[in-house]
Amino acid sequence: MAHRRCLHSALLHATALIYLKKSPPLTIVKALTPKPNPMITTSNLEPSWFTPWFYVRHFSSRKSDDSENEAEMEDSSDGEEESDEMASDMVRDYSPEEKEAEAAAIGYKVVGPLQRSDRVFKDYEPFFAVVQIGSHQFKVSNGDSIFTERLKFCEVNDKLILNKVLLLGSPTQTIIGRPILPDAAVHAVVEEHALDAKVIIFKKKRRKNYRRTKGHRQELTKLRITDIQGIEKPEIKTDGKPLKAAVKKPEKIAATA
Amino acid sequence: MALRGVWQLKKLIVSYCDWGGGSRGIRAFIESELPTFKEKNPQLEVVTELIRGQHPHLKGFYKNKNERVVCVKNMTPEDILLYATRLRNALGRKVVKLKTRHVTKHPSVQVMMATLLKHSLFGGSNSSL
Repeated sequence: MAHRRCLHSALLHATALIYLKKSPPLTIVKALTPKPNPMITTSNLEPSWFTPWFYVRHFSSRKSDDSENEAEMEDSSDGEEESDEMASDMVRDYSPEEKEAEAAAIGYKVVGPLQRSDRVFKDYEPFFAVVQIGSHQFKVSNGDSIFTERLKFCEVNDKLILNKVLLLGSPTQTIIGRPILPDAAVHAVVEEHALDAKVIIFKKKRRKNYRRTKGHRQELTKLRITDIQGIEKPEIKTDGKPLKAAVKKPEKIAATA
Repeated sequence: MALRGVWQLKKLIVSYCDWGGGSRGIRAFIESELPTFKEKNPQLEVVTELIRGQHPHLKGFYKNKNERVVCVKNMTPEDILLYATRLRNALGRKVVKLKTRHVTKHPSVQVMMATLLKHSLFGGSNSSL
């Protein structure tokens, strides 16, 4: 802004001088009016008046100042656009590869929507698995429901495969992963995406006149576990329940890749 | 929402007023986004209802005979779509704080082994896996 002020003062000086002088400067003006840089929009006449001052005061640098300013303006506007883009990045459309990569990072994979013909909901089988989703671990069995943080890339009634399995167990066998089991998979179906009950976050500092109330509802996903794979399942016979005798559980430690 | 593959939201009533300004968003929603919502959810019965002089709202009826009402006064059509999707995604259960994040009917797989081992000569191991 300082250069505008000095321009303005210089303009006043020059106008005073020119009015004191006579007409000849006007011809100079006419010759010089085509000169001014189209970038300078504020005062078109000024550079024509000021050509002697121009070189003395390095108005070429003023041009560059203007260009710098405009560049700064452009940068700042770009910055705003970037910040807007950042805000909209949160809701942006992920490409399928990005979706898979992010989902895999959390520990699950979307297989596809549930079809009516799928017989996914089986009876209870006495097998369990310790599975990790995000940062939480659950000990699941067939037919359990799990509440996790909102899983982004799946709709209701979608089938999922949870691939971060840390432990598999059965009445006779336990398979421990180091840290995960590569061949194990737990199948689940998304039951609902819902909000938790409202939690009121109340902050108060006594005798300081400070009180804040904030409400928060966490977004949850409910998964129904349908199948556990990766462990030997004996065929269930109707005669008698197998392997119920007092047998010590042999432990198998599966080495991970 | 689907419990064991069965959608829980049966009916959605979209009520709006044709005069009031708070219904502007829902009127736009009915024109622009409600048809696609209906197509995506063929199992859902969507009804538009005109209530003059009252604020607009969405009413969801669930299979467990639960009703959820959401007032959508002064909302943009995108927000209304978000709320409608939330109603569709949810169970009809009462919104209470969760006791546990893991709901199961069979908390232990190997308990028979543990109880048997307790009684056997080898002594009891307290594994509740």
